[in-house]
Amino acid sequence: MTRWGVVVGLGVAALTVACQGLDASTLAGTGVKVLGSTAQASQRAEQTCGKLNVDPTVAEEYALGSAMAIEWVKEGGGLMLAARAEGGQGPSVHAGVHTYVNLVGKNLAAQSKRPTLEWTFGVIDDTKSVNALSAPGGYIFVTRALLAELENEGQLAGTLAHEIAHVVLKHSIQQYNKAKVDLCQTAIYSDALVPGSGKLIAATKGDGTLDLDGDPALLDSAAQKTLGFFSKGNDQKMEFAADEMAVQLMVSAGYDPEDYRRLLAKTEEVTTVSSRHPKKADRVKRLVAYLATLKGAKDGEFSELSLEGLRSPPLEPTFVAAVRGASSGVAKDGK
Amino acid sequence: MAMRTRATWVAATMLLALPGAASAAKVGDALYVKAKNTRVMESALPTANVVAILQPGETVIWDGADAKEKRWHRVHTKAGKKGVVFQSNLSTTPPNMELVVDDKSRERTQVSPAGFVASGAAVKALSPGAIQNGNSKSPDHARAVAELQALEKLAGAIKPSAVAAHAQKAGLFAVVGASAEDAAKPSNKATSTTGRKKVSP
Repeated sequence: MTRWGVVVGLGVAALTVACQGLDASTLAGTGVKVLGSTAQASQRAEQTCGKLNVDPTVAEEYALGSAMAIEWVKEGGGLMLAARAEGGQGPSVHAGVHTYVNLVGKNLAAQSKRPTLEWTFGVIDDTKSVNALSAPGGYIFVTRALLAELENEGQLAGTLAHEIAHVVLKHSIQQYNKAKVDLCQTAIYSDALVPGSGKLIAATKGDGTLDLDGDPALLDSAAQKTLGFFSKGNDQKMEFAADEMAVQLMVSAGYDPEDYRRLLAKTEEVTTVSSRHPKKADRVKRLVAYLATLKGAKDGEFSELSLEGLRSPPLEPTFVAAVRGASSGVAKDGK
Repeated sequence: MAMRTRATWVAATMLLALPGAASAAKVGDALYVKAKNTRVMESALPTANVVAILQPGETVIWDGADAKEKRWHRVHTKAGKKGVVFQSNLSTTPPNMELVVDDKSRERTQVSPAGFVASGAAVKALSPGAIQNGNSKSPDHARAVAELQALEKLAGAIKPSAVAAHAQKAGLFAVVGASAEDAAKPSNKATSTTGRKKVSP
């Protein structure tokens, strides 16, 4: 995943340089006429491309999410697979591990604000990076390294619930909208830099949504640009919101959110310079404060959450054995 | 009484149009169904029968908490059926609307969760454009496409009844239920951790 991050980073840098070349502030001293016309053009581009800053349709979300999912699975070295049967055709994902993760994930997602989205939960066979990812349209991934760290099902639920929250709150969609506007502005000046730029600019004359499936080149441009923003991490506000919603989903399903707090507390701090992630200690502190607010309902008022009867179920033994087993890339199916 | 009931449903419909609106509900207020196949039970007794099965976004009127089982709530449905629903199945705020393109008008339209399922737009698979792009990009990308397609096949085959069975096994709340078809099969009945009759896959 690190290699992928570097590749995307380079792509973003190239486009940024192109945009900076058109920044009016860099043209001082080259003549008032040139400065004025460039500033006007830049303003026009901003107005035109701003029309793309709209919520996408679910079909558009699925296309973007699909493209992002393919990149993550490829960069993570693939999904956790089952031992291939003799003469079998095509890949076979590890049924035991994936079924379990989907049962836990789908139970939580069904209690979210997007209960009818078709959610897909996958395990990336990466034994080094402890990570979880979510893409628009309901694609959620966890690395095998993360799963190996879990102490119980509640911690798995907390991890998945946090990623579900990012999808429900459309955090990647905010990054996608920013990506669309950026690409559009670049395309207006030099369409050669943006494959699929024709359809992108044409969308500014419509309702701002894109038929990404109708133009795979544009889909790739949009996905790569979104992944570039994604690699910088979610900001503090997004992370805190996802943590709170994760707790809500856990309590709704009957999991003790204390498991999630313990998992957060033991994760390594994100220390990359570009990361906008909040500090781990801040997240834990906020989480504890939020948990304190989940008291019972007042008499005569309905409350959808209560801390009564919560559980901390163990992980399925076959799941634990499969995840912590040999890490050769092809695990034995724990089915 | 009839006028009051109608007014309540009108208020509920208005709330549906305001997804951000949230407040503490009081007796007589509308609550929203959260999860698929939410069961309205005859009573809070473990042996109670299913009165109705509701879907996300549908509304019920809250008649107060059950006298003995505080996590169960007395409600009546739009069709006039009375029963109790488990706390986690209800919300004071509606589920999100989904944005789809209308088949006929080709206009963008916000639809409820039920409308979303009915529209066919809910059916997900790796998108054709992403598959085409992935398959042509590199052998590693093509391998990722094939693996994701296998994953989606597995994930798509996991039905609410299996999710419900897992929750029961793990000792969690029985929030997600089996479909009405599954619930109708007497051989599928079992007792859940919250004391309800449940269905297993």
